[in-house]
Amino acid sequence: MNGSLVLTPQFTDTGTRSAASAHNNALVDRAKAGDRLAFSQLIEANYDFIFRTACKWTGKKSDAEDIAQEVCIKLATAIQSFDGRSAFTSWLYRVTLNMVRDMQRSSVRKAKNVDAFALVHPEDDPGGQEEATTAHQIWERVSTLPDKQREAIMLVYGEDMNHVEAAEIMGCKEATVSWHIHEAKKTLRGLL
Amino acid sequence: MNEDEKMTDEALYSLKSLRAAQPSPEAKKLALNAAMVAFDAVQASKPKARAKQGWLSRWTLGAGLGVPAATAVAALVLLPMGTQMVATRNNLDGPPNDVQVATTEIAREEATVTTLSTLEAPKPEQEVAAAKMADDSVALGEAAPVTQADQLMAAPEAMPAPTGRMTLRQAAPSAAADMAGGSLAQAPLYVEGDTFKSFDENRVKITSEEPVSTFSIDVDTASYTYVRSLLQDGYLPDPDAVRLEELINYFPYDYKAPATIDTPFSSTMSVIPTPWNPKTELLQIGLKGYVPPKEDRQPQNLTFLLDTSGSMDEPNKLPLLKRSFALLVDQLLPEDTVSIVVYAGSAGVVLEPTKASERTKILGALDKLGAGGSTAGAEGIALAYRLAAESKIENGVNRVILATDGDFNVGIDDPEDLKTYIKTQRDQGIFLSVLGFGRGNLDDALMQSLAQNGNGNAAYIDSFREAQKVLVEEGGANLVTIAKDVKIQVEFNPAAVSEYRLIGYETRALNREDFNNDAVDAGEIGAGHTVTALYEITPAGSGGELNDPLRYGSVTSNEVAADDEIGFLKLRYKAPLGDISKLIELPIGKDLALADISEAGNDQRFAAAVAAFGQKLKGSAYGETMSWDEVADLANGSKGDDVNGYRAEFVQMVKLAALLNPDRSGGGRSKADDPNLTQERSLGAPPPRK
Repeated sequence: MNGSLVLTPQFTDTGTRSAASAHNNALVDRAKAGDRLAFSQLIEANYDFIFRTACKWTGKKSDAEDIAQEVCIKLATAIQSFDGRSAFTSWLYRVTLNMVRDMQRSSVRKAKNVDAFALVHPEDDPGGQEEATTAHQIWERVSTLPDKQREAIMLVYGEDMNHVEAAEIMGCKEATVSWHIHEAKKTLRGLL
Repeated sequence: MNEDEKMTDEALYSLKSLRAAQPSPEAKKLALNAAMVAFDAVQASKPKARAKQGWLSRWTLGAGLGVPAATAVAALVLLPMGTQMVATRNNLDGPPNDVQVATTEIAREEATVTTLSTLEAPKPEQEVAAAKMADDSVALGEAAPVTQADQLMAAPEAMPAPTGRMTLRQAAPSAAADMAGGSLAQAPLYVEGDTFKSFDENRVKITSEEPVSTFSIDVDTASYTYVRSLLQDGYLPDPDAVRLEELINYFPYDYKAPATIDTPFSSTMSVIPTPWNPKTELLQIGLKGYVPPKEDRQPQNLTFLLDTSGSMDEPNKLPLLKRSFALLVDQLLPEDTVSIVVYAGSAGVVLEPTKASERTKILGALDKLGAGGSTAGAEGIALAYRLAAESKIENGVNRVILATDGDFNVGIDDPEDLKTYIKTQRDQGIFLSVLGFGRGNLDDALMQSLAQNGNGNAAYIDSFREAQKVLVEEGGANLVTIAKDVKIQVEFNPAAVSEYRLIGYETRALNREDFNNDAVDAGEIGAGHTVTALYEITPAGSGGELNDPLRYGSVTSNEVAADDEIGFLKLRYKAPLGDISKLIELPIGKDLALADISEAGNDQRFAAAVAAFGQKLKGSAYGETMSWDEVADLANGSKGDDVNGYRAEFVQMVKLAALLNPDRSGGGRSKADDPNLTQERSLGAPPPRK
């Protein structure tokens, strides 16, 4: 599976993808060995990716900043558990997504009457373009789906991943992703 | 795939267009720092968990390779930090801070450890955490980290991820903890992030060599508000942020106003002994703008150009901006017009030109504004001027009011192009004012120069009260220009004055020949504005000269034998829409001079106190002889009626400044004492060894 799965992080274009990936992996190895500089470079290089991912999933810049910061902190320990079986960016995506979930769960606990799963608030729409507004409306529908289905939809449609890649991030089988997608579309049909 | 499914698919693919905002560099730095703190904590705990690896050698390694401590600290200091957090530390008896690098690192690690352990429990009070951090950092000896690390590493591999949200404020204490000593003396004294135009203080001039002093008036007050906001939060301002004339002009002075518009402003002069130098005198020149009677009020056409970028999403920015502009709208009359254009966050026209009679509609539009994102508002400023031009009122007030926290991505990237554009619009009768909000991103220099090029003024709004002052009390002055390109030229009589020094106005200095050149732009004066200029003059023969007399003497031949004149004052101004300047000339008589400062009026003494305050705050070469207490006393004794309480507030500012920067005799401080600043910035010396 070595390197066979490479996400398209938003900070690289296709041409530099594998180079960036190799660079990341080298940094990860050094950071795992305790190299401070390597770790700081790794964070520096990936912060934007983390932030953007968090931003897409929360729709709120301030939340995304908090999540990104927590991910960065978490990486200090979590980096040890990165084993190179998947691409670093896929792994990082998963870590970020987990953090988003954690945060949303805790905010549900904190404020029961706050609809924490209204993930994207229209007034926080960073783009303000019509296209994005439609997307927000759809996202609002999607966000009412059960967790797994929502994630599958977001990864496959929002991030343009294939089912294998989505499965990697969700930590399940490809067939499971397909099933989630199928279930989700069944629910959404006619609503969009 | 049936039709229905295709549609679902298509709809879902539009999710791709969900776009993320730009990460802010501050947040990134903060996250990076937090990550490094966590990393260090993890690394420090490792040797214990997985057999000895010699942690000291790693420190050495870290010190050599890692992000330099100073960089990390400087980044943290970007953020406002309540000094009280540090002040809560009560354990002063910690072991001395003797292992330079190691201790610093450990302190940081401890800060995290505290965060970790306390934040696993329900979210703690920030102050408690802060106090604890500070305590821990001080209580640490060389051996301490190992035991602390022990506790931490009870389950080494499964160490809980730090889930504490290091919010901006929480992160700050670790900066202080970094320095392993939390007294006020160690707290950051300066805020970084805001930029100011750098300038050198006016020096003493020798009258026989350079008898003429020329400058443009400046009615702005942004500097005082900014300085006040910093002092109130426990920081000292950057010396370049202190513009003496803006400090002095912040306060209303009771000068006599002209009776008719024929002379748009009056001038008042006085000479009093200098409070900080017994051998010199202070020449005070006060101008006051004509106040048109209410029935002559011109209709106003205002276009608000508002910054809605993500960085405006702070309580003291967009929400304050909304309420400030709502205040302004309340002042308008039904025939006035308001348009609203936003840029950065979501670009475009928010409100087409609307009569102020439709107040609800205007306030509704204001209320709906939200901050977020960072789409370049391609044509923000052009759009604003277009709307202003569409609804332009001949013989009225046509003005664009730009409100921002420092993002000027209004569609014209190059500051010079932007200035030129604003100038051309100004020449067509649409003026520009700039209101600054927030801190940390402020581009004061650009704010100033845009407003100057747009025949407007720049104000800094840090509170609702300030909004009320700028937009309501002085609303007329700030919106209604009654004279433009006002220049002051003073020629001193070498027979009466041997040396002189203009206090402030450094950024407004003009060349001598610019005075008569109508093409040279200068400051505007609004309805009822007061402008005060102070010269410290050394009377001939007083012995207060800083320059030695020339060995071979100098050739002085006075054209006019005027022994009773200190100098000669010339003022030039243009009507708001005129192109040709008019000249006012007045001799400055010796009879103005008062023998004792107690004979001077409140305004004279108060202005002198403000000048002394500003000079001390800047670390000026002059005026250091007065103590803060003397400055406070002088101001306190000259408050006068002080209807609005501004002068009383000033006295409080003096006291705050005295706390933050004690007099030299009390062990004064400067930027060099701020442990959190990269010192090469101000000293030009190589940075301290990391």
